[in-house]
Amino acid sequence: MTKMFLTLRKQHWAFPPEFHLPRLSLPHLNQKMIIALVILVPILLLTTFADWLPLQKPLQTNLRAIMQWPSHVHPFGTDRMGRDVLSRTLAGVQLSLVVGFSVAFIAMSFGLFFGTLAGLFGRAVDRAIMTVVDIFLAFPSLLLAIGLVSIVGTGLGPVVMAISLADVPRFIRLQRSLVLSLRSRAYIDAARTVNASQWWLMTRHIAPNTISPLLVAASIAAAHAILVEASLSFLGLGIMPPAPSLGNIIRDGQTYLEQAWWISTLPGVVILLIAISLHFLSDGIREALDPRARK
Amino acid sequence: MLAYSLKRILQLIVTTLGVVTLVFFTLRLIPGDAASAMAGDTLSGEALQRLREQMGLSRPLGEQYFSYLRGLLSFKLGETITTGLSISSLLLSAIPITLTIALATITLALSIAVPLGTMAAFMAHKGYRTLDNLITGAAMLADLMPSFWTALVFLLLFSLTLGIFPASGTISLEDPRAFLMRLALPVLVLSVTQIAAMARITRTAVLEVLSEDYIRTARSMGWSELQVLFRHALKNAALPIVTIVGLSFGSLLNGTVIVEFIFTIPGIGSLLVYGINSRDYQLVQTLIVFYALIFVTVNFVTDLVYKKLDPRVQF
Repeated sequence: MTKMFLTLRKQHWAFPPEFHLPRLSLPHLNQKMIIALVILVPILLLTTFADWLPLQKPLQTNLRAIMQWPSHVHPFGTDRMGRDVLSRTLAGVQLSLVVGFSVAFIAMSFGLFFGTLAGLFGRAVDRAIMTVVDIFLAFPSLLLAIGLVSIVGTGLGPVVMAISLADVPRFIRLQRSLVLSLRSRAYIDAARTVNASQWWLMTRHIAPNTISPLLVAASIAAAHAILVEASLSFLGLGIMPPAPSLGNIIRDGQTYLEQAWWISTLPGVVILLIAISLHFLSDGIREALDPRARK
Repeated sequence: MLAYSLKRILQLIVTTLGVVTLVFFTLRLIPGDAASAMAGDTLSGEALQRLREQMGLSRPLGEQYFSYLRGLLSFKLGETITTGLSISSLLLSAIPITLTIALATITLALSIAVPLGTMAAFMAHKGYRTLDNLITGAAMLADLMPSFWTALVFLLLFSLTLGIFPASGTISLEDPRAFLMRLALPVLVLSVTQIAAMARITRTAVLEVLSEDYIRTARSMGWSELQVLFRHALKNAALPIVTIVGLSFGSLLNGTVIVEFIFTIPGIGSLLVYGINSRDYQLVQTLIVFYALIFVTVNFVTDLVYKKLDPRVQF
């Protein structure tokens, strides 16, 4: 009788109610997400279809039109080799977005895995993981990325790797704190009483409930990664010219700041716009998922 | 407090040792080794071996590690490979400049951000949304501006167009006025981000305190609004503000690398970029360790101040 009761209960309770994954269908878009999309979508469209725009190619030089003022032919002007700054900026944005989203994805995945491990198993596992995390967190993030780039070299892959490695510890720490706060909830105890395995707890009860805060952090991390990549390239340690990246375009223009202010300033405005939109996106996701955050 | 400080000091030592070990062994992971990475294709055979010996790379790894530790402890850090200058003396001349910039930025940022954030909180509390929205919006914008871009815009505006601050020139303490004028622009640039972060935290903290019972009590006792705001609210909001000063020190250090690069200021940031570009791993390794050391120490001090301000805090 007791046994039957338990199996019944197991069927009934061990399956969690549908967990609340973000429902991001159109009616659920809030004001902040709309602001984010209004900025982000045109930028995405422009970068995706940059090849079809009536612009000079990013690497094409034109020595008869060097350092020209912004005009309808060159909306962002031209640089010292007569290259079109807008088309270079769009190519740079493409690269920035790749960097931003890969870093966010990589950092989030590793953070999810190691953070859950640390939080759920505690003791030695936790101590081992957190010791390493604390050592990594002793470096300011850009400096850690600079140090890593000096070892792994320049270019897209190494830069993504360096920035991700600098971000992973932050995600591990976040995920661990989320897991710790979830671990003592009543529904976890309930699942434990019906003999749910660690794996089951982890994949069915804990991880799904930490996804939303992680997503919020990930969109901030994407914005941050874009800024770090730009900073690295600006310092000459990221993407190497002639391949355009927002950072090295701005660095290029630095020398001609007085004669051609547009080379440096306009791509910077684009970085700022992307960063703003990603921040609105993260605020928007948070509001959509956590009604308490709405004020 | 004493037990707590001791525990934190122990933690500090462990973290520092971890940092040194991590940096040391990571740099040994370079494909080939540091010597061949540095030489590129320019050296071969015997010359490369000589460089290796000069850099101490031919000794066993354990011996290299301990001699490096000994060097750090006695501040004998060897010479840079490219110029042969002593790293310790380079650091001694560079660290004060970077720290001056950092401390000046924190002072300037706090003196602007705290009143600004308090004002925004007060306005939000009273229901005047416009000014509050204006301040919060500006803070968000300032927070997201990449510092190298802000630096270039300020350079364009304040030195190339208006001619207020010099964009280049020597830096020495012998001419204090020139020294200040030269450092003014970098400090301004770094302050922008710091003010944004601090003002935001101040606003949230003060706003939270303003709805406490003891604030209502203070009001009912006849204190004026200003007295309530600065003597009661701000004092109780100090904790998060101290925390953000400590936390944002990391981003401040990041920023110093960039402004030093742009304004050609001979601080540790410029040294670092120089070290990486000339593949001087000895120098890079030491600088990264020092950055971490500064950051870890600041966090340690922040924790102590935190504990001092709020004895209830348990760690």
